[in-house]
Amino acid sequence: MPARDRHTIGELLADSDALARETLLDATPENAPAMVRSWNQLVASAVHLWAALASGPDSMSGSDPMERLRAVGQAIGRSVRAGHWPGHGPTDDHLSEISDNLSRARHLIERHDRPSHTANTDRHAHTPDIHGQVMHTLYVAAHGTAVALGAYVEELQHRLKVGTRRRQPMAERPTILEITEAQGMIARFGGFEQLAAAYMFGQPLRSGDPGQLRAAAPATRLETALAAWEVQAHRTLAAYPDSADLVWVARVQALIASTTRIVTEAAATTGHIDPDLLQRLAPTLEANQVAWSRLAKRWGELTSPASRTDPAVVAAASEVRAAIAATATNQNGWATPDQLASRVDLGNTVKTLHLSMIASVDIAHVARDTAADHPGLTATARIIGMRAQGEAEIAIEQGETRYGGVRWTTPRQISANEVIPLPEPARRGLINLTEDVIATTKQSVAAAAQLDPSGVTRSVRSGPEARRGRLVERRQITHPPGPWPKGPRR
Amino acid sequence: MGMEQMDAEVVETVAGVARLLRRAAELAWMRSDAAGPRSWRQLLALGIDSAADEALGVLPRRARLDGPTPVGDNAAELLASADELLRRICVVGAPSRLLGLRALVAELVWEANTGAGA
Repeated sequence: MPARDRHTIGELLADSDALARETLLDATPENAPAMVRSWNQLVASAVHLWAALASGPDSMSGSDPMERLRAVGQAIGRSVRAGHWPGHGPTDDHLSEISDNLSRARHLIERHDRPSHTANTDRHAHTPDIHGQVMHTLYVAAHGTAVALGAYVEELQHRLKVGTRRRQPMAERPTILEITEAQGMIARFGGFEQLAAAYMFGQPLRSGDPGQLRAAAPATRLETALAAWEVQAHRTLAAYPDSADLVWVARVQALIASTTRIVTEAAATTGHIDPDLLQRLAPTLEANQVAWSRLAKRWGELTSPASRTDPAVVAAASEVRAAIAATATNQNGWATPDQLASRVDLGNTVKTLHLSMIASVDIAHVARDTAADHPGLTATARIIGMRAQGEAEIAIEQGETRYGGVRWTTPRQISANEVIPLPEPARRGLINLTEDVIATTKQSVAAAAQLDPSGVTRSVRSGPEARRGRLVERRQITHPPGPWPKGPRR
Repeated sequence: MGMEQMDAEVVETVAGVARLLRRAAELAWMRSDAAGPRSWRQLLALGIDSAADEALGVLPRRARLDGPTPVGDNAAELLASADELLRRICVVGAPSRLLGLRALVAELVWEANTGAGA
């Protein structure tokens, strides 16, 4: 137990929010890697504080909208620990201080019992504001990190351009890989920011706890199933998944993309959304569905008769399937626009599915990390012989010299069709397919930017255009949402 | 009767059901993928995958799945065969999980034989 804190909970939260705003104002390229490294710790502190508070007034009994954010925060943390960009190094002082403040606030709450359990009605009345303040702090800090990352990518791109023009030694130039990985991180923080925004701007996140599925009211079944799916997909992918688990993840994501396409079309047909949005979104959703399906097939090749899926991921997938079937189909296939309009609020359902697309950016990144790092990936020798050789030949054509003349399997392994570890070129094939998934998901999210729950048009792209957009947002977001300490309205 | 107490004949039958469902899922995915990104057959294929997984879960850990690949290129017919096998072993006193599998497969047979799934 830390020494007695002289600050009040309100002061600690106010200080946290002010620090988050400072990260936004001071977002400089050199801060970006440290901010990414600090992120998981910050989210963990927020999650613990959130858990120490009573349920918010608008939440379902026992629901926990922070669960989805925790899954994303943990996934980013695992990625960094596994050595992906930015890798190990110093953490960010601002974010660490916010994390510390949130932990101190939690200790204060725990020391004085939970706010809702005390006789202090004034503090009880402020509990919803505490939820809002915590979420707002995460929202602003995520935005600040994304802005810093955008600046970081711009600087790398500039240095690469200059270095190439001046013919600097390769070792002194940034690599394309580093730029790509930092851009990927922008997309992940963009997704986090929008999930937080969904809570703050009037679309409360449903519980991400798969165990709470059955308690959901029928009207929220799809929304709840999707939230639970996101969390379960993260959990399964975090726990040394089998190839069969990856097949499930990819197949369900493909189904979600198809469903989003169908529901968006119905919403456009019935006047719930701008028809132009459908024109922009439909091709990207179809490309995304195809990309996930290709990835599923490739992972499917790696499964063996001994493969076993995580029962929890199958259960979550089955609930998504059942929820989609109940919402969006009839006996002849997909439901008609009129049928859909009679069953659900199409405007809100499109937003729900869009939010799921945003969350899938992170799932795709975790799938890529799994393809790159999972030490236990295996496949039968005949499949490996075929895939590794094919991918190696593609890589050799692209200038990769290490694969020339390498045999990936022995005749004995082929003859017995032994299960052997996945060699690098076969992993490379999986990574390339996952990159397609990431690219098409980002395109879908960008095409549907007007559905952004915060109402602020934003993009997960990096580069000068996105940067300009973020600078405008930066000015907007620095205005407090209401008189302090009331916090953001929901 | 618990899962681990199933007699050898029942285990062999459920293994056969699992093989039928796996093959049916393969065919369903082929058909779904061929139909393009808007295909609603994904729902059926995912359902069959789920049933195949459940059939594996019903089997004792020591059970072997090797066996002949089911003949046929029609997912609905393979599902009907799986349903038929399950009817034979889902007698009074059968494990509830086995009864649940039978209900799931029966539902899939219906889905595969109606509308766009047919």
